[in-house]
Amino acid sequence: MKKFKRKGKVVASHLSGYEVELLSSLVVQLVEMVSDGIPGQYKTTPESDDPFETWARDLEAHPDEPEVPEDPVLQRLFPNAYPHDPDAASDFRRFTEHDLRAKKIADAQLVLQRLAQTQQGAHELRIPVEEADQWLRTLTSVRLAVATRLGITDAEAAGELAELPDDDPRAYMLSIYDWLGFAQETLVSAL
Amino acid sequence: MVGMPEADAPTITPAGGTAVVERPAEEAVAQTPWVTLVWDDPVNLMSYVAHVFTTYFHYSKSKAQRLMLQVHTEGKAVVSSGSREEMERDVQAMHEYGLWATLDKGDQ
Repeated sequence: MKKFKRKGKVVASHLSGYEVELLSSLVVQLVEMVSDGIPGQYKTTPESDDPFETWARDLEAHPDEPEVPEDPVLQRLFPNAYPHDPDAASDFRRFTEHDLRAKKIADAQLVLQRLAQTQQGAHELRIPVEEADQWLRTLTSVRLAVATRLGITDAEAAGELAELPDDDPRAYMLSIYDWLGFAQETLVSAL
Repeated sequence: MVGMPEADAPTITPAGGTAVVERPAEEAVAQTPWVTLVWDDPVNLMSYVAHVFTTYFHYSKSKAQRLMLQVHTEGKAVVSSGSREEMERDVQAMHEYGLWATLDKGDQ
């Protein structure tokens, strides 16, 4: 792909058919992971004016203690907001995680729609400027997921991977990670 | 955070060992006992983190840049302060953007 370029109210780039397929597949995997395989169960609900109604809805949806996800990718996507207070951390998770998941899924679905409009890369990828944040958030989620799978947990690990020989089994995933970084960097720059 | 090599993008290379005074965002923390902390991570792009600070908090480019560099060099930065409810909203928004954010009491 080439760098994203701003054209009026649109940020555009040209992705090959392979790149469209690859990115779509990564975003679909993200949706499956974030929705535990059931995207329909996470819907963004409009905030009610009555806080009690909102709380009642949240409690109804999540009656049990929310569990910290076991998957390290989900742990990174839904971090602990209160590292020194397990009760507050659990409450925060109960009241935010559903909406966070719904938001990530809605962002990702918008990205998938735009990718589909390229007709496997036959047409330019055109992202309206007002949708740039949905794209940036989705690219971030996918990069965090790939980075976690690659074991990029700190700067040192990231540095070691940069030295990876081409025949290392992780080299392909690393090249995807670098590609995602290029796409995100040039999208931010184009805004 | 990481910077991406890219021809058009400005290269940000914070000088090693530069002392940056750790201070919360301009708002008076004394009256507002909670803060949102953003922590450094090896994945998020420096340009993106600064973009999030300007987009979500409506900070000026220079303030967003300063906070982003503080996260990068010191490992964390206070990016906003206010009531606990306000900070929970900010932390949730940071999680939406994929930043690693936590809440803390302002006096710590």
